[in-house]
Amino acid sequence: MSILGNLVLGLQVALSVQNLLYALLGCMVGTLIGVLPGIGPVATIAMLLPITFHLPPTAALIMLAGIYYGAQYGGSTTSILVNLPGEASSVVTCLDGYQMARNGRAGAALSISALGSFFAGTVGTIIIVIFAEPLTAMAQKFGPADYCSLMALGLVAAIVLASGSVLKAIGMVFLGLLFGLVGTDVNTGAQRFTFDIPELSDGIDFAPIAMGLFGIAEIVGNLERRMSRSGAIKVSSLWPTREEVRRAWPAVLRGTALGSILGVLPGGGPTLGAFSAYTLEKKLSRTPGQFGKGAVEGVAAPESANNAAAQTSFIPMLTLGIPSNAVMALMVGAMIIQGIQPGPEVMTKKPDLFWGMIVSMWVGNLMLVIINLPMIGMWVKLLTVPYRFLAPAILLFCCIGAYSLQNSTFHVVQVAIFGVLGYIFVRLGCEGAPFLLGLVLGPQMEEYFRRAMLLSRGDPAVFIQRPISLGLLITTAVLLLLMALPSIKKAREEAFQEEDG
Amino acid sequence: MHRLLSKDFLSGVMFIAFGLTALWFGRNLAPGTTVRMGPGYVPHMLAYIMLVLGAIISVVALYSGGEMVERPKWRPITLVTIGIVAFALLFERTGMLPALIALILIASLGGEEFKITEVIANMVVLTILCIIVFKLGLGMNISVIEGVW
Repeated sequence: MSILGNLVLGLQVALSVQNLLYALLGCMVGTLIGVLPGIGPVATIAMLLPITFHLPPTAALIMLAGIYYGAQYGGSTTSILVNLPGEASSVVTCLDGYQMARNGRAGAALSISALGSFFAGTVGTIIIVIFAEPLTAMAQKFGPADYCSLMALGLVAAIVLASGSVLKAIGMVFLGLLFGLVGTDVNTGAQRFTFDIPELSDGIDFAPIAMGLFGIAEIVGNLERRMSRSGAIKVSSLWPTREEVRRAWPAVLRGTALGSILGVLPGGGPTLGAFSAYTLEKKLSRTPGQFGKGAVEGVAAPESANNAAAQTSFIPMLTLGIPSNAVMALMVGAMIIQGIQPGPEVMTKKPDLFWGMIVSMWVGNLMLVIINLPMIGMWVKLLTVPYRFLAPAILLFCCIGAYSLQNSTFHVVQVAIFGVLGYIFVRLGCEGAPFLLGLVLGPQMEEYFRRAMLLSRGDPAVFIQRPISLGLLITTAVLLLLMALPSIKKAREEAFQEEDG
Repeated sequence: MHRLLSKDFLSGVMFIAFGLTALWFGRNLAPGTTVRMGPGYVPHMLAYIMLVLGAIISVVALYSGGEMVERPKWRPITLVTIGIVAFALLFERTGMLPALIALILIASLGGEEFKITEVIANMVVLTILCIIVFKLGLGMNISVIEGVW
């Protein structure tokens, strides 16, 4: 089918009343949690996973995607108005956005960030459309050994680009893989690590783990810190001046390009995109001294980059079934809950879902501009809701959601157990994202590994005899070796230090 | 002594503990051969990898030190966990409302500020919201008070 035909199919799906409503709902929820500090897209999507079980697959994925990119829009609003990043990816927007607001240019900063985001989202969607088919076609040539190597590459790349200790991140991946083994072995029917609990024979459900590790751990972390709120700045005119537009649009273009590239990389995504775009603008600027004092470029570039990256990070997930970050791992989880095995087959077997979701992202981006700009006052009011009201509400939704998965209170207890585990991970500085990636990819990876070894009669050389697999493994090894080089190690640490600061 | 309390050393210990647990509970799973792998092949492999990685991480941490574990605040994590477990115990026996009251009350105690009027207001709003969203909206088969509605 041609790209045009695909887009028409996508439009038909995305513009159905039901899907429009779910896209709108997703965008609203996304903006809401983007505005509220202390709850991010990962925790929210984890919380809503059980509810998506009750929805049709397309509607569920459209809604979850809306939450993800909606959060990018919402996060910038609070960064600009109250100097409080709603999302990690909006941290850099605070630097110049809040300064612009203090100079009386709050409206201009908001509209530049919203319009830049919309432009970036549009470009990101186009990139997905262009690359989806060739990548899927390529993935269909993959044998079991190739898939196994591809997953290894995906996992390693995710580690390299994540912050924190590499060794610990590798450990978390393996721990995730180990947890992924729980349940009945598909080949022999043997019970593995099920402790005679019938609920575990189908494997540990993904949703309670995600809710515990991200939702509960996040709530507890927030309860430990006292959240302070400062007053919001009033928004006057939304229109940027001609001078501001002239300075902003090249930054938007550069931010979009950089964000699009970084979004595709495993472990990349909105946060990395935003930070890199800001650094790039500062280096390219003729007046770097203005940065941090309200430079328009410092708002335009990172805001476009984080939205472009949010879009393009769907590419590896949709075409190869390999999630590149925690949110994408959750999307994979949502697909599995719906009985869809993510991977290249999704496009050929469920074209309506595939193209419908892609087109809905563009529609969603359009909705977000409308949701965000004229309704800005409403979102700012929400900031005044104290966290002590939110925390119990979030907990309650987690519990009922977990119960509703299989009408079993065992799942609720699982949330509590993984909440404690997640808390320990946070305390020990072990990141949850690599764990989640390992958990999602674990069962498939074992399956491909065993199949590859069966086909090769137990000869592990199969992984280096197939050219695709060899190429992927060499890339993986190079990445790992690069990490060990002292100069690269230092540069990586510096890059992440800047991020933390 | 302080090096034994660094984040890295304890992470290493945690990985070793998980590796040992997997080995112990997976001891009856047949590994099989590389051609025909049994259910235990991959679990054993992963468990040994965890042991080796854990050992490396903790040994490196012993020599290089690193960041210390912050003293945990027990109150939020304990009360949140108790709240969820209470919810799980009450939900099927007594219905949603008592479970909800228990969860919100216990979890609110985990925060820094606790005002009973606010907590009650929160309960009322959330009860109404839950009935609308879960019972009426999503049509889930849950009883608000067991045996009554």
